[in-house]
Amino acid sequence: MSKLELRNISKSYVRDKKTFSVLDDITISVGEGEFVTLIGPSGSGKSTMFRLIGGVETPDRGQVLIGGRDVTGVRGLISYMPQQASLFPWMTVRDNIVSALEIAGAARGEARASAEDWLRRIELDSVAGEYPHVLSGGMQQRISFLRALLMPRDVMCLDEPFAALDALTRTEMQRWLLKLWEDQRRSVLFVTHSIEEALTLSDRIYVLSPAPARVLREITVPFERPRRADVWTLPAFTALKRDILALLGEGDGDSDAI
Amino acid sequence: MGNNVWRRVWPPAVSFVAFVALWQLSCSIFKIDPWILPSPAKIAVHLAEDAPAWSRHLAATLRLVLSGLALGVATGIAVAVVLHLMPLVRSAVSPFIIAFQNVPIIALGPLLMIWFGFGLTPKLILLTLVCFFPVAWSMLAGLGRTEPHLREYLEMIGSTKWDILRRLELPASLPFLVSGLKIAVTYSVSTAMWAEWLGADKGIGYYLIIKFKGYDITAVFGAVICIVTLSLALYGLAALLERRIVYWRPRSRAGRAGDAK
Repeated sequence: MSKLELRNISKSYVRDKKTFSVLDDITISVGEGEFVTLIGPSGSGKSTMFRLIGGVETPDRGQVLIGGRDVTGVRGLISYMPQQASLFPWMTVRDNIVSALEIAGAARGEARASAEDWLRRIELDSVAGEYPHVLSGGMQQRISFLRALLMPRDVMCLDEPFAALDALTRTEMQRWLLKLWEDQRRSVLFVTHSIEEALTLSDRIYVLSPAPARVLREITVPFERPRRADVWTLPAFTALKRDILALLGEGDGDSDAI
Repeated sequence: MGNNVWRRVWPPAVSFVAFVALWQLSCSIFKIDPWILPSPAKIAVHLAEDAPAWSRHLAATLRLVLSGLALGVATGIAVAVVLHLMPLVRSAVSPFIIAFQNVPIIALGPLLMIWFGFGLTPKLILLTLVCFFPVAWSMLAGLGRTEPHLREYLEMIGSTKWDILRRLELPASLPFLVSGLKIAVTYSVSTAMWAEWLGADKGIGYYLIIKFKGYDITAVFGAVICIVTLSLALYGLAALLERRIVYWRPRSRAGRAGDAK
């Protein structure tokens, strides 16, 4: 059974008395323990899709299902990692995680124990008492990912989490996330602009069209788990990359990829 | 660190000493009468001699100022939070508050005296009203100016309105609250002087008026020095509080590349 399902979702906005269609009959699903990526050109409504899943907005048509239940417009069922780390500057790294877990309903002591345990496991306990501004961008995103991972929610939504990082840090972060995810096998919906990132991390990829977004194709990524670090050297990788580039219809579509 | 502080302190310290020296010299060279301009030395001697009297009055003023500040800050915070949470009430009430803020204190003080007598109550009300406004308005601005991406994050993970207030808006508005407090502190001392001038039986403002009426200009200068020192000390405390509260530096903004909403 799917953990997360979007059924025939459509959404449009009205701006200056004109209607702009953003999502057009989108149907996607994320299975239990599956890593699914949405890839599409800028402005293809991926963030809107996340806001619909988060229940912050409601669709014009269609349903959002989590664990088989219709939860359209219901908040508080997903964990979320935004593009900017969005850590609270007045809280230490540890308290940032604790605060999020408390919002998800955990007791303070329990949240604290879990945060400290995990910071130790991923060897970040040395920064537990630091304030976010002293951390590098990559480090902040690790904390942000851990914060999302620890929330007891069925689905993790990752919205271009590495877009603001430099290429080297980005590669490093992909490996780090891949290893952590392969240990944990949570259900993940991931958004990226980078075709290589999508192919390296995902089980399945949905390629979206420019606005109004439709699903152009669903691609099952054939590489075995755990993923090899040099998966990008395989001929099948290059072939898939070429396919997706053609679908996106722009030769320089991977300009922000590594 | 110590070296740094010294570098910042010595220029004003030198100019202050030079000013006092010039004052002292002028008084003795031009033989200025003490009832026109007393010399710093005379003022110092007087301050030392009359210490029991002025310190009692200063303490009364300090109590008044601190109570007024506390009440003003408390109502300021409460009003800011209420207006922030209820936009309709905010748009209904804020023109009145702003209009009321422009009622001259010269009118307000005597009116309060007529309504509440010459005791502590009218003075406390006056101080509270004066301190309330800068606190409420800066705090209200702070509550409304939180980072959009932090709010978006909290909404996406399903935070309640209360969570957003407690975990984002209140902490983010603290620096604004403290700058409001700094303004309120400076207002509070001058307002207390005005209230004591209107009618009082104690307070450093009362002491000053008595000395004026008795043509004791040296004591008047002494009182002025007490008042200025009190005002500066309170401002210094507020500035210190600001540093303690805003211990985290503001974040540098990372470039936002990518997806449109």
